[in-house]
Amino acid sequence: MITLGHFLALSAVLFAIGLFGVLTRRNLIAVLMSVEILLNAAALAFAAAAAYKDPVFFAGQLFALFIIVVAAAELSIGFAILLLVSRHSGSVSTDVVEEMRG
Amino acid sequence: MSVLGFALLAALVLAGALVVVLSENVVHAAVALAFTFFFVAGLYVLLGSPMLAVIQFAVNAAAIPILTIFIIMTTQSRRVRPASGAFYLIATVLAGAFLFGLWGFLGAPQTAFRAVSPEGLGARLLSVTLLPFEVASVLLLLAMVGAIVLARRLEK
Repeated sequence: MITLGHFLALSAVLFAIGLFGVLTRRNLIAVLMSVEILLNAAALAFAAAAAYKDPVFFAGQLFALFIIVVAAAELSIGFAILLLVSRHSGSVSTDVVEEMRG
Repeated sequence: MSVLGFALLAALVLAGALVVVLSENVVHAAVALAFTFFFVAGLYVLLGSPMLAVIQFAVNAAAIPILTIFIIMTTQSRRVRPASGAFYLIATVLAGAFLFGLWGFLGAPQTAFRAVSPEGLGARLLSVTLLPFEVASVLLLLAMVGAIVLARRLEK
């Protein structure tokens, strides 16, 4: 039988992989993709906890829905900023983002 | 819920995530991201919440990788320079410490999960969390307008 612990362990490992990606990637697009993995790991943990522990309100599943919405908004703004960075300095490496002034 | 299905989906999710994090070609990473999110949607089906699975599939497994590939093509940055070895070491140590710290919380008691019907989820969404729901729609509108304004070419 699959327990809540299995789902939480899977989402913890997924989160650790995403964390590794955020820390090691030097391409900003790849960093944003790793952030997406982080958010999905959190959403999976919320949804599993709701399915096992909260049979009345499913609050965790609602949280997971809002995490997906916020992730989509974050990604669209992130990509717009990234497009500006690439237009400004010709590259999307983390090395070129050193100053805030445009 | 079958143990075999969970193990298979979990292995595929983790393999996809590792490709996303380690691949030197960002296009490969974006495709692997699509597969990872697709298998996470499969996990939601296993968990008995088809509504969440459909939304995960439509938004995270379809729309986001396409947008990502579009941005990769626009910015012409398919290949990435790998980070230095020290970075990999520090990141491995930090991620490992995170996992180790979290492991103590995983001794959850054995209970069965309950399927969450789409009707129930929708009813909760529009009653208990009505205000966050409206705020989320405004947030999406703001993000859309903000992205257009930010990425627009200024006429000189």
